[in-house]
Amino acid sequence: MIYSYIYTAILVIVSLVIQSHSSFDVLRIAGVKPDLLFIVIIYVSYMFGSFYGEITGFLSGILHDSLSNSPLGLMTFPKMALGFIVGMFGRTVIKNNILTILLLLFTASIVKGIFMLFLCYVFHQSLASSVPGVILPEAFYNAILAPPLFYIFDKIYQKEIERESSH
Amino acid sequence: MEFIVRHKTIVAFVFFTLFCIISLSIKSTSLTISIEGIGSALSLPFQKGYNGIINGLGGVWRGYSEFETLRNDVKSLREKLQKYESLSEEISEIKIENKRLRTVLGLKESIPYSSVHASVISKDPDNWFRTIIINRGESDGIRINMPVIAFYGSQKAVVGKIVDVKGSISRVLPIISPEFKMGVIFQENRSPGLLRGLSASSNLCNIDYVSKTANVKFGGIIVSSEQGGVFPQGLLVGTVLKSEGIETSAYQRVIVKPALDYYSIHEVFVIKKEADKELLELFKELK
Repeated sequence: MIYSYIYTAILVIVSLVIQSHSSFDVLRIAGVKPDLLFIVIIYVSYMFGSFYGEITGFLSGILHDSLSNSPLGLMTFPKMALGFIVGMFGRTVIKNNILTILLLLFTASIVKGIFMLFLCYVFHQSLASSVPGVILPEAFYNAILAPPLFYIFDKIYQKEIERESSH
Repeated sequence: MEFIVRHKTIVAFVFFTLFCIISLSIKSTSLTISIEGIGSALSLPFQKGYNGIINGLGGVWRGYSEFETLRNDVKSLREKLQKYESLSEEISEIKIENKRLRTVLGLKESIPYSSVHASVISKDPDNWFRTIIINRGESDGIRINMPVIAFYGSQKAVVGKIVDVKGSISRVLPIISPEFKMGVIFQENRSPGLLRGLSASSNLCNIDYVSKTANVKFGGIIVSSEQGGVFPQGLLVGTVLKSEGIETSAYQRVIVKPALDYYSIHEVFVIKKEADKELLELFKELK
């Protein structure tokens, strides 16, 4: 299990660094860029369950909030909550094929957006009007990127998944 | 204890949720600031390293691909130089006229402040906030609310203002951010207005409080005014895309395309100008 912690930490840092670099702006479509970090969180919670998912979501959310101009907790809560929710279903309920992964990421991104919208209305009102215009394009973008990224992550975590399945 | 271990997932979820809600409620306290500080300290070396690698690889590639074009450029530049030398007399005439017009308009000839050059090392990783992180901080004399500019051709154009300063890095709030506010004027008719970012996913700005009597034309140039106490007067902001009259209001709303493209900002200058606190406080009250 120690390897999966190391892989997850590396994936979280790499996605955050890539996502926040200026060169990543070329990937923007309709002013929106994909949330690679969120895809990583959904993957680990889907593969390893709620506890692992919420811990990854919480710690990476705090890192995200530190890098962003957002107040501490605004990005952390949706990531942690989605890590928890997706992990409850996980691979035992949701089959691992392209269509379900597309739908999983699309739905999870929409729910993340709704959580963001709610938190913005309560704690950060100046941002609330901007959120709806971002939710849908970002959900599409995350969903499209998810299948190839899940495939890559499957290769990275292959040994760990096999070991888990044998137990 | 056994209960906690058995229900660790639920317990952790409740604990994390409470942490987030408390943190959002109290906003900036020493605790949240120090947690954020630890977070940025953890990720900053990776960001700087990645930035260095990307810049290094980009530099090598550019050097290789531009070598051939450089030779041709030198040849054509020599020809152009001869042509431009003959224009110098004409330019000196224009300079005199420009000086006279500037005096008439009350604009300052140049910005009477020193500035610090900085490179963009990262941007906000999400789609909701649009801030830029630069590689200069408190140790370089950067302070909150200092204006940040970049060159658009030979003109100084507004990038944003400093909103957060740490040891060797600072955070810049760009003009396209919905949280940004600055006083501007239309260069042609000197009408004032209040500029803000249009939305989190847009690269445009809008100007409110522009009088309906002001003649706003497509392509009209917008420059900074000293209202707000942050920016010096006369910095290029952008050009008018369109204007919309609001029926129930005495004002019109103007959509502006910023002179600088947010995505292609890599090098900036921080003007070492302390904000006028009284003006800033008055300006913050405007909603």
